[in-house]
Amino acid sequence: MQQIDKIIFGDNQFFGINHMSQEKAQQLAEKFYDIKNIYRIYDNVIESGVKGIMLNSNDRAKDICNHFREHKEKYQNISWYPSIPYPHKYANLVAEKGILPAINEVLFKDNSASGVLGMMAKGGMAVLSKDAIKMMQMLIDVEMKMFKGLNVKVVFLQNVITDLILGYDVKEVFIEYCKHIRKKYNALPGLITQNMPLMKAKLEEWGVEEVVLCSSFNKIGYLMSPGVEEYVEAAKTNDPSKYQLMAMSTLASGAIPAKEAYEFINKQNIQSVVFGASSKGHIEETVNLIQI
Amino acid sequence: MQKIKLAIIGAGRMGITHYSIINSHPDIEIESVADPSTLVLTMMKKYLPVKTFKDYNELFDQTTPDAILVCTPPNLNFAIIKRAAKKGIHVFVEKPFTTKKQEAAELNQLYKEKQLINQVGYVLRYNDCFVKSKQLIEDGIIGKIVRFKSEKFSCTITSGDDSSGWRATRENGGGAVFEMASHAIDLVNYLIGKPDKVVGTTLNQIYSKNVEDAVSSTFLYNDGKSGTIDINWSDTSYRKPASKVEVFGTGGKLIVNEHSIKIFLNEVNPAENLQKGWNTLYITDVFKNVPFYVRGNEFTRQLYDFADTISGKKEKSLCTLEDGVNTLEVIEAMFNDYEKNGKL
Repeated sequence: MQQIDKIIFGDNQFFGINHMSQEKAQQLAEKFYDIKNIYRIYDNVIESGVKGIMLNSNDRAKDICNHFREHKEKYQNISWYPSIPYPHKYANLVAEKGILPAINEVLFKDNSASGVLGMMAKGGMAVLSKDAIKMMQMLIDVEMKMFKGLNVKVVFLQNVITDLILGYDVKEVFIEYCKHIRKKYNALPGLITQNMPLMKAKLEEWGVEEVVLCSSFNKIGYLMSPGVEEYVEAAKTNDPSKYQLMAMSTLASGAIPAKEAYEFINKQNIQSVVFGASSKGHIEETVNLIQI
Repeated sequence: MQKIKLAIIGAGRMGITHYSIINSHPDIEIESVADPSTLVLTMMKKYLPVKTFKDYNELFDQTTPDAILVCTPPNLNFAIIKRAAKKGIHVFVEKPFTTKKQEAAELNQLYKEKQLINQVGYVLRYNDCFVKSKQLIEDGIIGKIVRFKSEKFSCTITSGDDSSGWRATRENGGGAVFEMASHAIDLVNYLIGKPDKVVGTTLNQIYSKNVEDAVSSTFLYNDGKSGTIDINWSDTSYRKPASKVEVFGTGGKLIVNEHSIKIFLNEVNPAENLQKGWNTLYITDVFKNVPFYVRGNEFTRQLYDFADTISGKKEKSLCTLEDGVNTLEVIEAMFNDYEKNGKL
């Protein structure tokens, strides 16, 4: 399995996401309303030696992708770690219209997604609704369009979707997801999950290997079901040639001081850390603290 | 112990989420699903070990589950739950339970008589920060409650496209009052108590044609307390739904949302390790992990509460049909107040 970057820069801070404080989230949303401030942070990140970027496929991500494509020479060695989909887009659409019309709108309102024209000719949703796998592939392709032309290393499925399907315990969906990401994007399949020990155990049971698992990993166990001990144990016994583990929420939304947080992380058997920061100082500090 | 055989009626957004969560509970075996959607049934039949029915009546005719999750549009719930009660089936129903308080009261009575487990899906009662706030308020840390504000904002409805779905009319349970304000009202009932009178109700349409998108109201209490609610589901400044309750008491103030609790105290409180003046408890200070996470600890905790009450591990669920009736009584009082006093 191709090795993933040890340090990856995440994007929550840019999009008004903070799991601990809505106020903090709002302050950041204001700071990064001007997209130039986002690009400035990315330049700081790259100067600090980080070469991996994780980006969720929301509307603003399109502009970010364009910026990196337009300045290809400047950003030559960057690897991309997209996460799909943008869950709130679907949540709002589904709340407003219902599940089927929402999928219909996403897939068929925008005819440029690959396979859409052919599918429309065959009868659109009516035909598609009998083929869950094809529908999933088309939804992935719609989300992945904005990353075209960038060097994509891993494609992550967002935790809301991963964990929903994990609860259903349907292996076919995971198998087909992984297949599609490998074949169509020549990338590693990734799963973001808030239930890492269970997800890993299931993948092992199903014989699905060479997958990147991204999960919260922090010493207080925040967003780590069923608990921090199970995570530490799952990591300790993991074979990284089968599953590469990536830690997110390492500071537990700021509840743990950075030094203390990474003292814990550096002791774990994990292959990668994704972190977010909104200033040059914090970026440099974090990059220095991560010693995995 | 034999597993609890469960049926899910209504596999829309909530039904689909609940399936995933409760499927992880070791005492539960999901046996059947009823939903009119061919797509949903086709997929479930293909990938899941469940019986599927297009009509819930067929499900009741052909199977006898121990418990059901009712996730259908609220105007259908009365008939479904009445039939379930007759068959002796425990029920979890999504909020707002029904659209008419008389129907809700009748169902509550039936479930009481039959001594069956019953629960309504006011999920915020299970959120770590609201759970902690309930305890702090009950312990009297902010003294006697005088005033409060309960708010909920989201960007759920942001275009004028007239949806033909069940959400388009109030009779079917659509509108910001049934869908969103019900949460804010239930939190008031839960944290402060049910109001004795409702005044000053206003409703606004922003994008919807037949139902309200924003609502506010004032709640009065016989003991002199009062408070307001303010709800808007077309507020595009919110990335995701946000609830907030502010409670002012004789000993200080408590402001809680899904992620934090801010507490101002007139005096130090050593028992809770809170200082005089401002204190902040973040979700990271008060959370408790759940065994399986899909979309927030509260959603798991809510359904595990239902399962554990059925199996006798818990005495009573945190949000019963009775609580659902109480919220509907407040909602009805608000609509009546608006019709009588809210228009110029």
